[in-house]
Amino acid sequence: MAALDIPSSPGRGIRPLRFTPYVVLALASVPIFVLYAWLVYSSFFPSVHGFTPVGAFTIDNWRFLWDPASFPQMRNRPPIIPLTINTFLFAAATALIVLLVSSMAGYAFSRLRFPGRRPFLASVLLLHSFPSVTLLIALFVVLRSLGLYDRLVGVILVKAAFELPFGIWIMKGFFDTIPWDLEMSALVDGAGRLRTWWRVMLPLVKPGLLALGLLSFVQGWNEFLLPFVFMPSGSQQTLSTLVRGLLGEGRFVDYGLLTAVGLFYVAPVLLIFIVAQKQLMHIYAGGVKG
Amino acid sequence: MQVLLEKLTKKFGDVVAVDAIDLRVSSGEFVALLGPSGCGKTTTLLMVAGIYRPTDGAIRFGERRVEHLLPKERGIGMVFQSYALYPHLTVAENISFPLEVGRKVSRGERDRRVREAAALVHVDALLARRPGQISGGQQQRVALARALVKRPDILLLDEPLSNLDARLRHEMRGEIKRLQKEIGITSIFVTHDQLEALTMADRVAVMRDGRVEAYATPAELYARPANRFVAEFVGTPPMNFFTAELRPRNGSLVAHAEGIDLELAAAPREGGGATSVTVGVRPEDLTIVPPNAGEARGEVYVVEPMGREQVVSVQLGGGMLQVITPPGVAAHVGDQVGLRASPGRVHLFDTTSGTRLN
Repeated sequence: MAALDIPSSPGRGIRPLRFTPYVVLALASVPIFVLYAWLVYSSFFPSVHGFTPVGAFTIDNWRFLWDPASFPQMRNRPPIIPLTINTFLFAAATALIVLLVSSMAGYAFSRLRFPGRRPFLASVLLLHSFPSVTLLIALFVVLRSLGLYDRLVGVILVKAAFELPFGIWIMKGFFDTIPWDLEMSALVDGAGRLRTWWRVMLPLVKPGLLALGLLSFVQGWNEFLLPFVFMPSGSQQTLSTLVRGLLGEGRFVDYGLLTAVGLFYVAPVLLIFIVAQKQLMHIYAGGVKG
Repeated sequence: MQVLLEKLTKKFGDVVAVDAIDLRVSSGEFVALLGPSGCGKTTTLLMVAGIYRPTDGAIRFGERRVEHLLPKERGIGMVFQSYALYPHLTVAENISFPLEVGRKVSRGERDRRVREAAALVHVDALLARRPGQISGGQQQRVALARALVKRPDILLLDEPLSNLDARLRHEMRGEIKRLQKEIGITSIFVTHDQLEALTMADRVAVMRDGRVEAYATPAELYARPANRFVAEFVGTPPMNFFTAELRPRNGSLVAHAEGIDLELAAAPREGGGATSVTVGVRPEDLTIVPPNAGEARGEVYVVEPMGREQVVSVQLGGGMLQVITPPGVAAHVGDQVGLRASPGRVHLFDTTSGTRLN
């Protein structure tokens, strides 16, 4: 019968072209994947030659969690737990400030017509493209004069300020997608600006807030330069400065310890990305309009 | 409560959206602002609501001037074209929102009034749902309940039916009209659909280019349109127009055009000297008669049966006249037919200005 000659469904057949993108992407990702794999297994072996682990599986490198004193490199450093808490505080506070300011400023830029709105928007974007290194000296002077130098609060404020331009633009994009009718309706119903923002607008940009919050947290968690420069004394340091210290101190580097601490340091970030991929994608769905 | 607009004007930059309009809406009256898109009807409504600030002129609610007041201080309820329900709140929370943010109303009183408003528009079974989980018609009802829950003095509706399908639109038309009369609330609604305006409103303000072209009851608007624009805008199929020359005959006047000799019941009120006028006749005021019996003669161009009636297009001279006939009237494409206009149902308009002449 002629009908049998027709393939049952064009999608069912094996079509090599369909898999090409995956193959290309997989190949391109191999180096990155290998690096992470190396990071993981070298933290569980006494030593590694090139990419080959030497010796038997061990959790010795992770002793820094319960017996830091057994590592000479860890001796004159603050204990790992307070460092982790510091890092968490730093990242969380940065994210909170970014969320609060971006959601308010983004709303204002999206909805209010005030003089200087466009120049302001443009200059916010300009700030975003400013490398933070170039501002280090100026920031040092400012922090010193405010008495915030070598304090966690100071670095949080600086980090949040660097993250704000991105956050403001992202949140403006999210607010832009909310129909005006909803806001007019809230005004007619008797809500003021602030209450409209809080009760009607904010719940509708929740995906944006979630994504921006997570990204800012990760940015804070990963930040090295600012804590390193503006919090030189030990007690206020973060994990990133510890990792850097392990790398740069002494004549030889204990790669087992370094990778264990490094893995400990990146684990939360990896976890966030694995759990919240979908939410983070919303950043790109928000859209940015001028 | 009476609403009075005095020389109300709104400019956006150099563009005059609303041009010094005067309008009085009596207490308890249901008024439609009708016009094509861009005529300024929604802008007018948003000024009444307090969302747009007028460039000039006054708005009075009763004796009180309100143009400087915030929307929440005006005692209005509003239904938006998109309904503007808060998607993250339940139906009950949507309806209670105005009570929650507005006045000091106790929780018990709030719940009671939410249920009361919901029952009024028959959505009391949906209180726990979210807007995304109910149909368009139900969303519209919820929007009405939310607008009415704080017992406003004035109800404003912006294109309330345009997002509904035809059947639902018909249903809600009647429902909103009944509700408005039942509560007796002064209401203004905006629409571009002349049928909605005619069927629902006590009076209709026809707007064009920021001005009110006519303000009358639906019956007046239909029977004696003030000018050609109104005559053309109101009624489907639209009124037939043709340019004719006025000639005296046997002591009366005849409007003459190619294929037409229409005897007029009365001379034009003004412009007695005018010899060229625009004549308007509604399709239902024309009847098909044998070829030599009528006042006009032409050829059937197309016949559109609509069940209850049929629309027959007749080509004559350079133009086309549409006639509504009962379904039984036999008319076939190509037939030669005569047309007769009901006496006294002929409208005369000035050809250049469009103003009514009889």
